[in-house]
Formats: sequence, C-alpha cells, structure tokens
Amino acid sequence: MGEGFEPKIIAFTCNWCAYAGADLAGVSRLKYPPNVRIIRVMCTGRIDPTFVLKAFTSGADGVLIGGCHIGDCHYIQGNALARRRATMLKKLLEHVGIEPERLRLEWISASEGGKFVETVKDFVERIRELGPNPLKGSG
Amino acid sequence: MTGEMYIAEATDERIRERGEHGGVVTALLKFALESGMVDAVLAVKKRNGNRYDGVPSLITEPEEVLECAGVLHCAPVNVARCVKEYLDGAKGVRLAVVCKPCDARAMIELAKREQINLANVIMIGVNCTGTLAPSVARKMLVEEFGVDPEDVVREDIDDGKLIITLGDGSTREKDLKELEERGYGRRENCRRCEVSVPRMADLACGKWGVPEGRRATFVEVCSERGGELLKKAAEAGVIRVEAPSKEAIDERERKEREALERSKEWQERYFGELKEMSSEERRRYWFDYFDRCIKCFGCRDACPICYCKECYLEAWRGFIRGGEVPPERAFPLIRLAHVADSCVNCGQCQDACPAEIPLSRLYQAVNKELQRVFKYVPGMSVEERPPLTVITEEELRNDDPLLFLR
Ligand code: SF4
Ligand code: SF4
Ligand code: SF4
Ligand code: FES
Repeated sequence: MGEGFEPKIIAFTCNWCAYAGADLAGVSRLKYPPNVRIIRVMCTGRIDPTFVLKAFTSGADGVLIGGCHIGDCHYIQGNALARRRATMLKKLLEHVGIEPERLRLEWISASEGGKFVETVKDFVERIRELGPNPLKGSG
Repeated sequence: MTGEMYIAEATDERIRERGEHGGVVTALLKFALESGMVDAVLAVKKRNGNRYDGVPSLITEPEEVLECAGVLHCAPVNVARCVKEYLDGAKGVRLAVVCKPCDARAMIELAKREQINLANVIMIGVNCTGTLAPSVARKMLVEEFGVDPEDVVREDIDDGKLIITLGDGSTREKDLKELEERGYGRRENCRRCEVSVPRMADLACGKWGVPEGRRATFVEVCSERGGELLKKAAEAGVIRVEAPSKEAIDERERKEREALERSKEWQERYFGELKEMSSEERRRYWFDYFDRCIKCFGCRDACPICYCKECYLEAWRGFIRGGEVPPERAFPLIRLAHVADSCVNCGQCQDACPAEIPLSRLYQAVNKELQRVFKYVPGMSVEERPPLTVITEEELRNDDPLLFLR
C-alpha cells in the first residue's frame, strides 16, 4: 500500500492481563511500533461492540482487543463473552465490506510482555498490507 | 399433548361464514375471552373497513372478536412490539394474541429480555407464507390484476400463486414469483422467511392439510397451554375437531417443505449476489444505502429486538452526534451489532424506513451467518438465551481466540 501509511491501531486491553502485559513490555524496555493507542478497560467483557464500531468510524485502521487467557479472567467469563462479541463483529464487518482482519482478539497474560510486542508488530504489518480504513475520508 | 394434530371448524354458523378456514381462530379467541381464560384478545382489525390498513386491536367484548375474522395479507402489523410497548408486556393482563411466525418469534425474543411476560400470553399462531406491503399490494392489484383494490375481499397464497377473490365471488390468480420478479408480491423479508408454521406459538393453525373443498383449519398443538385451550373449546362445543388423515398430514408437510425451498431460493438470490461482490463493492453497496438515512429512528422504534430504555443511538450518549444527517456510520452499524444475533427477519425495520434501505436484507444475512456460528435460531424457544449472553463449559476449556471461526 501507499508509502507513508502509518496504521492507527486502537487497543482495548483489560486491566489485569493484557494491559499489565503491555506495561511489562514497557518496563522491560521492549520496543514496539508506536502505532497503537491503548485504552484500558477493567475486563474485555466491558467492551461493548459499540466501542469497536465507534473506533472504526472514528478512523482506526485496526482494533485490537487484549484480554486474559481463558480461565484467567478476573471476572470469570468476561473474555469468553468478548470472544463471542468479537466473532459477531467480524461477521458484521465482513458483511458491510470492511475486512474482518481489522479486528483482532488476543489473550495476553500479565507476564507475556513479549507476546504483546509480537502481537502489535504483527498486527501493524497486517494492517499496513490492508491499507487505510476504507471508512476514513469519503468512505 | 404437544404435537397432536386436528382438523377443526367452528360450530357457530356465523363464525364459520366469516372466518376463511372454518373460523377456528375466531372461535378460539372468542371462547378464551368468554371462558375467562384471558382478559383480552389482541388481533388485527381493518380500520374503517380498509383491508390495506390493519390495526392491532385490544378486544374485551367477545362479539367484537368477529370483526377480526379473516386474514389481512396486505396489512403486516407489529404485534410483538405492540404487546411490549402499549400493553406493558402483558405483565398485568392475560392475553390471547394472534401471531404470524415472526410475531411469535419476536415475542419470544422479547420474553427472553423480560419485556413480555409469556406466562400471561396464549399465542395463537397462524401459518404464514408471506405478507404484502399495503402500497405495493394496491399498485399490483391495479397494474397486474386490473382490479380495483377496494373490490378485493380476500387474498390467498398457495402453491406459489397469489389468488385474490373479488366482491362478486370470482377469483384471479397469478404466479407469485413472476409478480415478485417485477417488484410486486410479498415483502422481501417474507420471500426469504424460513418459518411458515409457528410451532413456537401455543397453537399452529393453517389451511395446509385440510381436504379440498372443505372449510376447516388444520391445528397443531404446540404447548400444554395451547392443548388446554383447544380441548376446553371442543368440550364447550364451540369447535368440532377430528383427527387428520395420514394424507392430510403428508400434504401439510409437503406444502411446508415447498415453502421452505422457495424461501431458500430467494435467500440464495439476495445473499448470493452480495457474497459474490468484492469487499469494496459490498462496502459501497451498503454505505451508499446508509448515506440515505435521515436518522428518523423508525427502524429502531419498530424493531422488536431494540427494546432498550436508553438507546446508544441517542445523541446524549456520545456515540452519535446530534443534529447530523445522515448520521455518522456508527449509527447503522451499532444497531446491527445490537440486534443481529437475535433478528427474527420480521421486516418491520425495513417497512418503517422512509429512505427505503433494505435493512432486513442485511440483518438477516448477518443473522444467518451467526445462526451457523453460534447454533442459535432466534425466537424458537424461551429457554435458549441469546447467543451473546451465554458461555458453554466447552468454550471455557478452549483458549483459541478464533474458536468460532475455525
Ligand atoms: S432488525 Fe428488522 S427484521 Fe430484524 S427483528 Fe428487528 S425489525 Fe425485524
Ligand atoms: S440500537 Fe442498540 S441501544 Fe438502541 S435500542 Fe437498539 S439495541 Fe438498544
Ligand atoms: S428507518 Fe431508515 S432513515 Fe430512519 S433511522 Fe432507520 S435507517 Fe435511518
Ligand atoms: S479481566 Fe482480563 S479479560 Fe476479564
């Protein structure tokens, strides 16, 4: 895709795992692309599908949802609910012609700083390949 | 009792005359009211004798029930939303409600959301293979049938034909598919609808399986409560019931199967076209439609799944800016995200939309996909929770983020 396209990624991360994982990456001085803006939520179960859609219509090129591994959610099933919602959202996006790959769900524990970095790197590259969010500008 | 089948007819001559298929539904409603099984009946009545203008009417006088006899194919009304909105979800009143399959399914979805108390509702289901938008029907009658819409006393859909009866008793029929190719015929959601026999209601009543030349109704008992009403009505002598023959049952099954095949064909046509598009084309297709939205909230207010007291789409919630038309793209997408898992393809959103956006086409397409993924068909049983609110044990043992997409 076009030179100079820097994907904007919104990452919703849960307080107890993925956010802590990102924090660990920070304190461990692991480098990751600056394309990601992190929004902390208490649990991925708190992420209303509306948030994700609003991120896209506000111009995000990709949305990352990061939560605890299954079984580790501090609210028991929040991540499992988030997985169902993300599934629904991917189908929805696909039907209206927005690449479902622009939404990504990952489980990242508080100790997986490295996984957070790898996930972000990989996601940024994939979004770079997909190009800018088609809803941006004239749509 | 559930699953039992009967051929039934009203015993009252007057009711038999007025009802199209032996007056069973009318007789049951009247009996439910008279016997005190319910406090009121909710059925559709012609407004000022106009069969293209049906109004849901709350009836407490048994005699008045007779005014609702007969089927209005060209006046699809929103019964479920009506029960929720204007009758307080039947929380303080026991109702008998006449339901098409989509009405019954919508009521079940509302019951799951605690918006309707189904313990107070007897759903008298009527088979349905489609309804017509009033404006389309009138135009079609003039242009295709060459008749005065006011002269029509009855419509019927059978074996892929639309049959109309005029005041003088004569009938005209046309191939439904041909009419629909030309933009007439049934609402598009009805063309694609898969449920013609409302087994999720308490009783499923219809003409399929009734021997040629007889005016009677084939009734399938779908719940204890439905069976009780039928039994009591028969004991009280307001209806006569007999067992259907094997042929009658087979015939009914055949008709049901054929209706399903027809709807699958339509689904293939509507959805196939969209599937073949590139992502880019599909985006243009939908977003061009979305850009016609005048943010009237008609779709939201008509949809039985949109029950929220405080809707995300109100400007003060901060997701949608106030005073902006067309609304930003989050508007159609948010509603889609909120109802797609439970959409019953009733088409009410699309009927309400002044911008003529084919909303049900999108909702049903997404819903069909989610049905496959989550193994959940909306509106079939009150016991099943909406798929975005349940988690299975098995899921809790699987760490794969793409579990449902493999
Ligand atoms: S989205 Fe439309 S078709 Fe689906 S349930 Fe709501 S009103 Fe009916
Ligand atoms: S659009 Fe969403 S928030 Fe608004 S009424 Fe419908 S389901 Fe509720
Ligand atoms: S009914 Fe149509 S015009 Fe009105 S808000 Fe819904 S989509 Fe927009
Ligand atoms: S607390 Fe991390 S996903 Fe629920």
